[in-house]
Amino acid sequence: MDLETGVSECARPDRHQKILRTALLQRRAELRKAWRHLLTVECLKQLGSTAPYVAAYLSGKDGFRDWQMLSLRQWTDCDASLPEMLISIGLGENIACRPSAGVPAVFTCANFKKLSGKHRLEALCVRYRCPLNIGLESEAEIAEELLRQLMVADRTRLEAEAEFDVDDVLLKLNLIAVCAGTKRDLRFLDALNYFFELPQRSLARLGRKPHFLAGWLCLYAQLLCAPDW
Amino acid sequence: MRVAVIAASLAAGIRIATEVERVPSVDVSIVCCNLEMRSPLIRWLRECGLALKSFRWQTYITKLWAYAHSGKLVILNQPLDDPTTVERLRALQCDVGLHAANVIYREATIAAFQLGILNAHIGILPGYRGRSVAQWSVLRGDPVGTTVFFIDGGIDTGSRIVLRAVIPSGENTNVRALKTMLFDCDARLYRKALEALTSEGFAYEYNDISHGKRYYVMSRILNEVVDTILGSRTS
Repeated sequence: MDLETGVSECARPDRHQKILRTALLQRRAELRKAWRHLLTVECLKQLGSTAPYVAAYLSGKDGFRDWQMLSLRQWTDCDASLPEMLISIGLGENIACRPSAGVPAVFTCANFKKLSGKHRLEALCVRYRCPLNIGLESEAEIAEELLRQLMVADRTRLEAEAEFDVDDVLLKLNLIAVCAGTKRDLRFLDALNYFFELPQRSLARLGRKPHFLAGWLCLYAQLLCAPDW
Repeated sequence: MRVAVIAASLAAGIRIATEVERVPSVDVSIVCCNLEMRSPLIRWLRECGLALKSFRWQTYITKLWAYAHSGKLVILNQPLDDPTTVERLRALQCDVGLHAANVIYREATIAAFQLGILNAHIGILPGYRGRSVAQWSVLRGDPVGTTVFFIDGGIDTGSRIVLRAVIPSGENTNVRALKTMLFDCDARLYRKALEALTSEGFAYEYNDISHGKRYYVMSRILNEVVDTILGSRTS
């Protein structure tokens, strides 16, 4: 055995942090210019009254909100719809949540994997209507599975510019973004980086679902400004 | 101990076999795969190109002849998980396979080797499973290195670790150079792993995956961050 000690705890020097933060802020600056190629005028129209706030946020200054403060210890309910919640979190607005009266049944990764595409999407939309719940410790396995699906199967399809389920991919991107914010796990943020870097032709298809797309872009913009990766 | 190098090319197979055959009591074969099911012409042109890049011709021909002549060179035309291939692998009656083929193995292929197939993974397990782990290690300020372990059906989840080696990133100023350096350690580390396996009182280390994470291919932006970190380290 050449290695005497186990893998050490994260001991990233401050210098690494600085280099990383600079790069992420550069990406934020890039996003300020690039978002209009993804979220087109047509998409913005479909966002209705939220559109000006989304446009202003994506092109303007950043109002960073620390999601660690928002991270939950118990299951939470909200009145807004899932797309509204995602955009609100992304914009750093105050989120109207309340502790849930009951906790939903355990959703195992094995059961999740058994679901077909359509049913999987429905299950995710129902279970994570308040998307912050995906950050709960009880949901860690599902979060890992979503990350795996995005970074293996979905990534491969988008890289090959093949057909993909826009709802499914965008929902996963949004939930992974929420996980990145609550867990501060750089792997989750990097999945968003990776998808943002995919060929424009594949990303253009995401415009079919403007609400989820706006949610993802706002969440991504928010995360790039977080100081403590 | 009977060992087979499962290689994506003859050049890779001979490179690793040359190192591994230095271990006393190890009998080495080379299994050359046709991973992308190339046509014979393309396949052998590629082999010639790789051989020219890697070896002096004389060494290459001598080694190739020696392995072929002693019946220890297996050229596969079918995929590794094809039943006929699995049967051919079983017939070799090897204890250990050495992974050098850039492929994910099915259970049947792994089971064709008595102890299993060793993989030289360019990350320290159990902390760093999956892809781009050298870059993630640098980014997180953790040791860079290689783990030689017996694979299973999962991604770097095989429970039996033979050795872990911390390999300083040294003068490598970018990700590509770092990964090349780490990949080039495979032959030496396979030799050390086989030495360990054949030594008296050897015990595996347990790859406890609950103490690590699975990583995925890294984005361009974070690769650039790692390049900057590596560059600034040596400047």
